[in-house]
Amino acid sequence: MIYYLPTIYSNEEGYEHLAELSKETKGLLADRLELNFSRVGFFDANMAAPLGAVLARVADDLNSVEIVDVPPLIERILRKNRFLTHYRYEPLDDSNRTTMPFRRLQLSDEGLFEEYVKRELRGKGIPRMSEGLGKVFKKKVFEVYQNAVIHSGSTLGIFVCGQFFPQKQKLDLTITDAGIGIRENVRRFLRAKISSVGAIRWALKEGHTTKEGSQPGGLGLKFLHEFIQLNKGRIQIASRFGFYEFRKGKETFEKMAADLPGTSVTIEINTGDTAEYCLESEVTPENVL
Amino acid sequence: MTEPIIVRVFDIAGGPICVSAEDGQRIHDKIAPLLREGKKVALSFEQVETLISAFLNAAIGQLYGEFSEEYIRELVSVRDMDPDDLPILKRVIENAKAYFRDPERFKQAIGEENINDDAE
Repeated sequence: MIYYLPTIYSNEEGYEHLAELSKETKGLLADRLELNFSRVGFFDANMAAPLGAVLARVADDLNSVEIVDVPPLIERILRKNRFLTHYRYEPLDDSNRTTMPFRRLQLSDEGLFEEYVKRELRGKGIPRMSEGLGKVFKKKVFEVYQNAVIHSGSTLGIFVCGQFFPQKQKLDLTITDAGIGIRENVRRFLRAKISSVGAIRWALKEGHTTKEGSQPGGLGLKFLHEFIQLNKGRIQIASRFGFYEFRKGKETFEKMAADLPGTSVTIEINTGDTAEYCLESEVTPENVL
Repeated sequence: MTEPIIVRVFDIAGGPICVSAEDGQRIHDKIAPLLREGKKVALSFEQVETLISAFLNAAIGQLYGEFSEEYIRELVSVRDMDPDDLPILKRVIENAKAYFRDPERFKQAIGEENINDDAE
């Protein structure tokens, strides 16, 4: 089949377009998908993560996947961030080091993800991005990755990709899993037929976790939210039919028209933020327990 | 007074990045048997560079499901932790205490608007 991908921005519409692609290719088995980029006017580089997850599922159904007619500027970016090298394109050197390369990792590849974060964060926004901010950001990224490891059940792995915009002083990073989605986890836990949007709303509340048994949880997303509020950045979560965005103190929840498998979390940080993240605390080792 | 047994988090997690629940679980599995025997434990975070809630929930948070707050306060101590990480640990512990007081508390009514509609 030939599928014409439209313009993909990192927003609800962009995720919805990828959900459409997922829906349209669902029945394809041991066949061929030609993904035609000629109608793509713009492609936000971090969206290579959810696109990679959708295409991994298509390939897992024994289909061959080809990406064709990529406009030159988009091809340049997607070769620099190595996304297109997964589809037989040659890599391009990222001399300015503005990409956070596309990577596909397995759930057990936590060590590789640590290396990825350590290596790729270096030079992004520095010296403008303070050491404190970089450190806090790193923690939030690991929290999101851990959520995918613990909750997604993704057999196709985890997909990461990002982009640094030096002029705009922002860094976008998307972590996508190809798992069951927040909705399914919350449904199993609550034993109730909750909607995708309702499930995201539930998961964002402090202390809410679908982990059963002896381990408490439910702080990772809350901490991320608090950090993004201080940093004046942005969070996006797209999971199944649900889309959530938090920016400029405002939260929006939208229902998407199609089912996007798994969960994607995008963190956008303002790298020019000079706020102090090493706050004085009254907590001491003596009174912490 | 007996000296506590020092549990070096860096050594057990295998490095300075303490972010996985699995590594946290390994720390927990070292501490819990010692506490069951009534031994004092000092958790040292020396050389630990990155610490997140997912790790701490498993390593320390879940202790509150087995042992009382008083018992933990008496036998466990924390040392060499980056001051920036102490508020995270505090939140993890507060959250764990609330969780084990009533593990079912989040399974409350979820509201009509969140129930699935036909189109999904």
